[in-house]
Amino acid sequence: MAVIKTLDDLKKRQEEMKSRVNLRDKAENPESLVQVKVAMATCGIASGAKEVMEFFVTELDKRSIDAVVTQTGCMGYCFAEPTVEITLPGKEPIVFGYVDAEKADEIIERYIKEGELVDGIIPQNYNTI
Amino acid sequence: MTDLAMHMMDIAQNSIRAGARTIGIDIEERSGDCTLTLRVTDDGKGMSRETVEKLVDPFFTTRDTRRVGLGIPFLKMTCEQAGGGLQIISKEGEGTTIEATYRTDNIDCLPMGDVPGYLSLLLKANPEIAFRFMYRVDEEEFVLDTEELRELGIEWEAAGMLAVIKEYIRENMNAIDHIANG
Repeated sequence: MAVIKTLDDLKKRQEEMKSRVNLRDKAENPESLVQVKVAMATCGIASGAKEVMEFFVTELDKRSIDAVVTQTGCMGYCFAEPTVEITLPGKEPIVFGYVDAEKADEIIERYIKEGELVDGIIPQNYNTI
Repeated sequence: MTDLAMHMMDIAQNSIRAGARTIGIDIEERSGDCTLTLRVTDDGKGMSRETVEKLVDPFFTTRDTRRVGLGIPFLKMTCEQAGGGLQIISKEGEGTTIEATYRTDNIDCLPMGDVPGYLSLLLKANPEIAFRFMYRVDEEEFVLDTEELRELGIEWEAAGMLAVIKEYIRENMNAIDHIANG
């Protein structure tokens, strides 16, 4: 990869990206997109939420899945960090705990793509600490 | 929290939750007085004097999802361990500035960590917030301003751009380190 150091380099790379990645028309309505929220508070950061978030951003792009990945605060499940909340269009949000790259891959392939439930869901009525 | 980048993300997350529209992040190293400073400034909702006083108490939090709040206490701990200190300036309705100083000649001074990684995620996940990042070592500095990127038509939140932005920040921080260390 060529060095990216100046704003010009940035612009050039962006043009390359645009031609390579088939820019999907992001729907105006966020309800129609998959929403991924990575808990990025003290507890999440200390447990490796950054790696999980990088994985989701990069892989969802690569696998051409229309999604918005954002960060959120602590959801109260500090014991199960890194935690990720996934909202499929028209469905209730589901929180997954103890997510690492391997788990994230499974969540993308099985839950996001197929709608299948996978292990690691934190039930809504679970007590927070 | 084992490095400065983690603290940076943690404190920036506080700013986001305080409803900031603009967040400034400065990391400044001064070899003359052996200090490394992390400063996060926001225009969020700010805090009252009483709240600021309670901030360093690990059992104080504004959340109702849990009963502890460790971000600021950890930051205070890591900088005081390294012979530095924490300063919090806040005004209700105006914003907050958090400044953590470490002594670089102290063995407990935190390593920098993956600043480009965390920063590129912050930018990507919060395109509606204006970020101004400055990395400065003595007289050399690198500034990334999302307003400037926007004006130039660089869409850092677009697909595939995360790694590009991360690389851009990494290259420029390395260049500053390189010049500063001869």
